Amino acid sequence: MTRDPALSVDGLSVDYPLSSGGLFRRARSVTAVSDVSLQIAPGETLGLVGESGSGKTTVGRAILRRVPASAGRISFEGKDITHLRGDALRKLRARMQLILQDPYTSLNPRMTVADIVAEPLLVHGLVASRAEAAREVRGLLDRVGMPADAADRYPHSFSGGQRQRIGIARALALKPSLIVADEPVSALDVSVRAQVVNLMQDLQRELGIAFLFIAHDLAIVRHISHRVAIMYAGRIVEVAPREAIYERPVHPYTEALLSAVPVADPPVQRARRRIIHPGEAVDIADPPSGCRFHPRCPIATERCRDEVPPLEPKAEGHMAACWNRGGVMGLRMKVHS
Amino acid sequence: MNDPLLEIDDLRVDFDTRAGLVQAVRGVSLTLGRGETLGLVGESGSGKSVTAQAVMGLIDVPGRIAGGAVRWNGMPLVGEGVRRRPRRIWGREITMIFQNPMTSLNPLMTVGAQLGEVIHLYLGLRGAAARTRAAELLDAVGISGASRRLDQYPHEFSGGMRQRVMIAMAIASEPRLLIADEPTTALDVTIQAQILELLAGLQEKLGLSIILITHDLGIVAGLCHRVAVMYAGQIVETGTVDDIFARPGHPYTQGLIRSTPRLDAVEDRLVSIDGTPPGLRTPPEGCAFRPRCPAAQAACHAPQRLASHGAGHVACCRAGVDAWDVGAA
Repeated sequence: MTRDPALSVDGLSVDYPLSSGGLFRRARSVTAVSDVSLQIAPGETLGLVGESGSGKTTVGRAILRRVPASAGRISFEGKDITHLRGDALRKLRARMQLILQDPYTSLNPRMTVADIVAEPLLVHGLVASRAEAAREVRGLLDRVGMPADAADRYPHSFSGGQRQRIGIARALALKPSLIVADEPVSALDVSVRAQVVNLMQDLQRELGIAFLFIAHDLAIVRHISHRVAIMYAGRIVEVAPREAIYERPVHPYTEALLSAVPVADPPVQRARRRIIHPGEAVDIADPPSGCRFHPRCPIATERCRDEVPPLEPKAEGHMAACWNRGGVMGLRMKVHS
Repeated sequence: MNDPLLEIDDLRVDFDTRAGLVQAVRGVSLTLGRGETLGLVGESGSGKSVTAQAVMGLIDVPGRIAGGAVRWNGMPLVGEGVRRRPRRIWGREITMIFQNPMTSLNPLMTVGAQLGEVIHLYLGLRGAAARTRAAELLDAVGISGASRRLDQYPHEFSGGMRQRVMIAMAIASEPRLLIADEPTTALDVTIQAQILELLAGLQEKLGLSIILITHDLGIVAGLCHRVAVMYAGQIVETGTVDDIFARPGHPYTQGLIRSTPRLDAVEDRLVSIDGTPPGLRTPPEGCAFRPRCPAAQAACHAPQRLASHGAGHVACCRAGVDAWDVGAA
């Protein structure tokens, strides 16, 4: 059975201007995201992983229509939203919400928790009165495990984990069907991180919310995601169901990334083979030709330098962009052709 | 056993703040052997960085050493028994690197000039000799094209390369102890792997002792020989890295390990430690973890002491092996 995806992104590119043009000067820009395609089913969590500058945050912002797409198409619940404006865009924003990394800067310090959570309800006219808003807020705070007396206090009196719960309550207020969570637990301490991760999983089970979970922590992503997409230098290099990515990675970059994450188990960690590539993440303003990973890749060939590898099926539900890793599907297709 | 290189004995550090006295470190005792890597693990505010700063002599107003002592090779370094400030140790025999290499480097000086200062100060070299030594150091930390890189400014280096420069400066004086305070927290995971490999290699080559402060249990598992777990300004458990991970004795350590998702397995649900660490203005009587502990008993209100859990393994709790299974049941 295939359901309509909650979100479908096709060939998305996003340019950021570096300098504006002049009379005799062309405007310069950097392409932060190139030709990204992904789908998220209703109630599914897609983990989007990459290192700094890989473009993962930009993908999230483009989906929420906070930065304009320079190419490609974004569909949400079956509707093209790439160029929505005005009222239609406002209505859309109620259905898609954002949870940010830093719960210290994403809550207005001069508003009470009740006002913070009620604001979207009032802005979108979903409640008739302040009294109704207060009732809703009580329900939402309870839903995210905050005590009832939190409503009248200010953000500064809460810990990081509690602030992140407040941010989640605010995101839930409009009953969204998709939440983009951009590094929602990276700023939290380990013991508190688990509380927030568990909360997000409970909410998904109960409310059927789809998550785009943007993170650099591969262990958290494995825990929370159904499928995982790996980004490198503005492109998706591999996307597959969770088990397939972690147990049978295809792309050399995914392999290197996974092998670099230390496992919290001493005998296991000592025995692991680490693939440590020289060099660092690419300069996105001047990316390498062809496959952007080729300067660091141990199996790169001539072709990798010249041609961009397409993101293509390598196994059931498993896509990767690599010329030199055929995978099961690649072999099968060769036999048929 | 041979004499420890570093001994921390019942160290206490207080901070006078407008809101009152904060007891950041409340009686920490530790020893570190030669060539040993000790992981100091804990969450924000657990006192791990303050402990390291105390060892480095970096506690300044409004902070003060409120009790205890740090000894270096048996000689008083901090706290009780110190007669003269032993500056020859800090920066020379004990050096430190920090989380954010950008704020630790001077943006207005070339990397070569900054390295040159350290080399002049500790090795007494100048001019061409200093420059040669600086290039050797950059080479030792894996920066290629060293002689060209010496004339560049910090902003011309990436985050990982800046941390390598910091490490080069930290090993310039051929120290015996390197304190690394979250050295890879600001870095991407593939760069982190490079830096950790560099530290392990330097340790082997130079016979360094390392105190590694981190909140990442994976890094501890890969790099450390021994671990000390801190909570609310105290050490709640220490032991060999294998022992601590296989048989954690303190419910906090158990909870930390079980609330950390693993890269190589999937858990149904993470153990979550409810609540938050206590404030240290009015530290709780008895076990500081008691309000969050699933196995807390009446006896936990009394002051706790570290007790043996096997060879070289101590924990300040006798609750039993699996507090979190008890809690879940």
